[in-house]
Amino acid sequence: MIIRRKFPARLVAVSFLAILIDTALQLVWKSAVLSLPNNGSPWLNVQAILQNPLFLFVIFLMACQFFNWLLVLHNADLSFAQPVTSLSYVSVFFLSVLLLKEAVDLLQMTGILLVLVGVWFISQTDHVTPSQEREV
Amino acid sequence: MSQTNLGVLLVVICTLLEGVGQVFLKKSVLRTIRQYLWIFSGVVILLLQSVIYTQALRFLDVGAAYTISSLNLISVTLMSRCLLREKITRMRWIGVCLIVIGVGLVAARTHESAAL
Repeated sequence: MIIRRKFPARLVAVSFLAILIDTALQLVWKSAVLSLPNNGSPWLNVQAILQNPLFLFVIFLMACQFFNWLLVLHNADLSFAQPVTSLSYVSVFFLSVLLLKEAVDLLQMTGILLVLVGVWFISQTDHVTPSQEREV
Repeated sequence: MSQTNLGVLLVVICTLLEGVGQVFLKKSVLRTIRQYLWIFSGVVILLLQSVIYTQALRFLDVGAAYTISSLNLISVTLMSRCLLREKITRMRWIGVCLIVIGVGLVAARTHESAAL
């Protein structure tokens, strides 16, 4: 992927970390939900969530994601950062194929290619709106 | 209302809450006063969104939920434009639309394969 614009190293680092944490979060979250009892009442579900180490790990990942996300927002427009970090869709897809041996077809590969091209388009725009400064 | 329809409705509500919550978080880094109020409001909305999304995953496959939640990008981009006055160029819109279509293709196909 060719990126003509030069982005601050800090923005690149926190965005990469955001993608990494989001990938882990999506995979662990789904595993945690699958481990919940099927016919439990809402209260039993809350108890199950609080006692399930997977959900505690989900909460830990969410906390990491939150503080890292504030750093991302310090460095870029929301409308720039949010689509760029959607590269986690690509990493979740490839991890599912590599680790879970899921089948891949042409339509899915086309989708992945569209996400990559979309992120390339976004990377060609300014990462901050010039008039946006901290308000007092 | 069928369980699938309920799941879809919950995920759509999540996309709107995601947009509002993210705008509040961005407001917190733009302002030097009432910063914690913006963070608190953003966190409350995003926590509510997480609870609703968890419920939605009980009614929908993750593929279907992922497909619909890709609309988050449209919601966040529109709210960034209207509420934060961010400059959204045509290039950025093209990128956002390509990503939404791409995620839709991947997730819809995954959902279809899982259903077989």
